[in-house]
Amino acid sequence: MSRAIEFSSVSLTRRTQEELYYDLKRTLLNIWRIGRVGARRHTVIDGVTLSIDHGEKVGIIGPNGSGKSTLLKLIAGVLLPTRGTVSVSGSLSPLIEIGVGFDPDLTLVDNIIYYGVLLGHDEALVRGHVEAILDFAELADIREQPTKTLSSGMSARLGFAIATEFRPDILLLDEVLAVGDERFRRKCDARIGRFWDAHSTIILVSHDLTYVARTCQRVIWIDGGKIRFDGEADVAVQRYLSTVATSASIRRGEDLIALAASTEDPVLVRGASGSDNELAIFLVRNGHRWRISANGEYRRAVSWENVLVVEDSVIEQVPEGDVAL
Amino acid sequence: MTFVRVAAMRSIKIRYRGSILGVLWSFTNPLLMTAMYTVVFGTAFSRYYDGSIVRYLLSAFVGLTVVTFFLNSTAEALPTIVTNGALLNKIALPPAAFPLSSVAADLIQQLCTTFPAVFIIAIVVTHDPVRVALIPLAFIGLVLLTAGFSLALSALYVFFRDVSYLWGVAGFMLWMTSPLFYPAQVAPERIRVWFRINPISQQIGALRELALQQGPIHYADIGLAFGTALLAFGLGVGLFRLARRRFMDLL
Repeated sequence: MSRAIEFSSVSLTRRTQEELYYDLKRTLLNIWRIGRVGARRHTVIDGVTLSIDHGEKVGIIGPNGSGKSTLLKLIAGVLLPTRGTVSVSGSLSPLIEIGVGFDPDLTLVDNIIYYGVLLGHDEALVRGHVEAILDFAELADIREQPTKTLSSGMSARLGFAIATEFRPDILLLDEVLAVGDERFRRKCDARIGRFWDAHSTIILVSHDLTYVARTCQRVIWIDGGKIRFDGEADVAVQRYLSTVATSASIRRGEDLIALAASTEDPVLVRGASGSDNELAIFLVRNGHRWRISANGEYRRAVSWENVLVVEDSVIEQVPEGDVAL
Repeated sequence: MTFVRVAAMRSIKIRYRGSILGVLWSFTNPLLMTAMYTVVFGTAFSRYYDGSIVRYLLSAFVGLTVVTFFLNSTAEALPTIVTNGALLNKIALPPAAFPLSSVAADLIQQLCTTFPAVFIIAIVVTHDPVRVALIPLAFIGLVLLTAGFSLALSALYVFFRDVSYLWGVAGFMLWMTSPLFYPAQVAPERIRVWFRINPISQQIGALRELALQQGPIHYADIGLAFGTALLAFGLGVGLFRLARRRFMDLL
């Protein structure tokens, strides 16, 4: 079988976000005061070599910030490697995330055509697919409305429909299985299933380890930008799980309190609490416990016993909010 | 190329959605400005234009055609890389297409309005087929200059978000230091060198030479304007290529 994707000792360094100031005046002042300081960079992908054949279904797993999505971006050609070479043969789907990239002022039809052309298709060909896309997304009756009138679920549906309509040779999926309501999710699953049956190459990034283990023959586990394991799905998932025992065991408030007591690092999880089971983020830092509601409001959390953790991955980024921690 | 075309049509659609006059709106700005300048300065400066207010009016209009196209296009192209950052993060696209399609959208508008007007003026005023035939060259120069600046500015804006303010000021200064609504003769002798260096002033000079003058053609002015435009385009492309590899970390 021929190679669809080939990475040979690929490394990627990126600028760290915190030292950016996007400001010419400040940059010039800094150069004048302390001399030219090179941008601080950190390694996101570190010497990755891998090859994926046409028709392979590959899952990529790993903790947040391990470089999974970056790997997809390198395959998609959105990012170029700092060192090494990436070669891809075959047409690619776009990275489907929740509906960003649509022009809010254009109608659905215009957005579909624009998007299709961006994907490298002929305008006439895209026009021929407009109906099918609208049908699949179940948005045919509002085709002439601007996309800003769509709900986030609707635009996610539209994004998925466009990305999968043109039968790409290589399908890149980044946590898209949570698109839309339950019924639509089944429909997406069915469509992805057809890709699975066909000869398409699929690269799937997901935190849903059972789904990955069930649907992929091969799983790559990456951490810190390096490949930790590459091979049989079950083995990869097992090994990965054995290293994240701490975070995977956080299920209830007690686990959270126990974990917080055992570490000095800040602990952040997404969960629900209270009588209304409202979603929030829970943070322990320096012995203080906080509950951060969806609108960014910090509140000292008193009782955590009733917290239900919905996402067992620990979140690294502290949400913005002015509070002395 | 298909992408630039479709993207340009898309920005035109967005700009004129729901407006009855559509593309003609881009005519109103230079026309109103011409009227304003003529009312305010026409009488005072007409003696530099053989005592003819009409000649002053035409001269101001030709100058404004250049300035409004250059400043509007560059200002609109400036944020395009940043505003399309989400898209660039999803699909591998040539990023230069965004500023270029923005310039193309403006060009299409002007091709429907002010540029043909300059042609008609040239035919009526000069009666000179060589001059009229050379006018497209002046427009190509103007477009190259604008595209070069647009590429450079849109790339810089990724790194420095205060470039939009700085360009607002710098663009205005280039405009005001071009002999647009005033004749070059009113400026002090030692300042007039700047009129030959200022790229906007060069373009205005070249277009006026072709559209409004009579007698032997000053090819040097036209060549200088075109040369600067080519240089600006080359530098813009070069800067854009240099910056392109560092873009993605900041979008």
